[in-house]
Amino acid sequence: MMEKMIFGRFMPGDSFVHKLDPRSKLLFVFAFIIIVFLANNPVTYAALFVFTLLVIFVSRIKLYFLINGLKPVIILMAFTFLLHIFFTKEGELLYHWKFISIYEEGLKQGIFISIRFLVLVFMTSILTLTTSPISITDGLEVLLNPFKKLKLPVHELALMMSISLRFIPTLMDETDKIMKAQMARGSDLSTGPIKERVKAVVPLLVPLFVSAFKRAEDLATAMEVRGYRGGEGRTRYRQLKWDSKDTLAILLLVAMTALLITLRS
Amino acid sequence: MKVKSLATSGIIAALYIAVSMLIAPLAFGALQFRIAEMFNHLVVFNKKFFVGIVIGVLITNLFSPLGMYDLIFGLGQSVLALSITIFAKRFIKGHVKQMIFGTLVFTFTMFLIAIELNLAFQLPFLYTWLTVAVGELVVMGIGIPIMLALNKRINFSKLIED
Repeated sequence: MMEKMIFGRFMPGDSFVHKLDPRSKLLFVFAFIIIVFLANNPVTYAALFVFTLLVIFVSRIKLYFLINGLKPVIILMAFTFLLHIFFTKEGELLYHWKFISIYEEGLKQGIFISIRFLVLVFMTSILTLTTSPISITDGLEVLLNPFKKLKLPVHELALMMSISLRFIPTLMDETDKIMKAQMARGSDLSTGPIKERVKAVVPLLVPLFVSAFKRAEDLATAMEVRGYRGGEGRTRYRQLKWDSKDTLAILLLVAMTALLITLRS
Repeated sequence: MKVKSLATSGIIAALYIAVSMLIAPLAFGALQFRIAEMFNHLVVFNKKFFVGIVIGVLITNLFSPLGMYDLIFGLGQSVLALSITIFAKRFIKGHVKQMIFGTLVFTFTMFLIAIELNLAFQLPFLYTWLTVAVGELVVMGIGIPIMLALNKRINFSKLIED
């Protein structure tokens, strides 16, 4: 499932958005998350929504994938919507039935917050759908560079993220194998009282931990042997390139921000 | 940072993600989304697990539907709670007591997530806190006996030493 969440999410392609530098995409999404909060009336929310649709169109991602990304948060979204509808008691009364009453302001707030939710989830999904995990890590490393002055080990963090991304599929395979092996021995993870199920997890985790740490040791040895000695003076296999497309994307976002500021009430 | 601890932390992060997502749906049904939190107990055995767990949280949140918004608050909550748990080890003796304390710290610091949801979607702060805190309390509570049993067979502290 997580594999789907992290690796299955990336859809290789050659759209405008796919070709952008991960740095500009990260900056774009990060700034977008902030400017979403500028919207405070129907016009600005509509503008946000149209802007998001535009980005979706340009990225040529099928709507199906975006809606799929919505699944894990759909309950939270519905809950938020209903909460605003039922508990905001301002404005004109629109509907009343027994103890349920819906006010104009509540309906408005509910719709606004849902739009905010949708555009946030869609924008983040576009980022992860069009950028491979490894280039997100590369981009993040460069963007975090200023924090080196604060003694944040940026290169090491990025390296650990890459190691982790590299080993997630391997360890998932391993987990799967161990799970099947234990099931073949009669271990039962899906039925019975909770206490038994908790107990059944232990024989799964023991071999997994042991083998994972063995892998870590092998990896460390391999790195030492190849003379790994930190980020200083290291050259890169994957080079990041900022070109006019990236500047254009950032300018678009600046324009959107200006638009929101003028239209908001 | 030594090469060995770099490699180990990276793999712990991968383990955090792989285990939580594969085992969870089978074993705990509705609680599946938060089961990874059980790994937070690892810092009780050795504080060197800190980095690996934080990277695990970072990657999970980076790819979560709310993305970077989750990243700031989720990472903040983990770093804060893990640091408090590690610091408290000086005053609390015994793994069980330390884990119970850690569980309470994590449950309490979920207020950061409640603030996140409150800011983003204007959900009521107290109610949201209660909901997310209960989930955390249950998962980390269940985690205590599991971690103890695991530690008996594979000494966590020695696993990551040197």
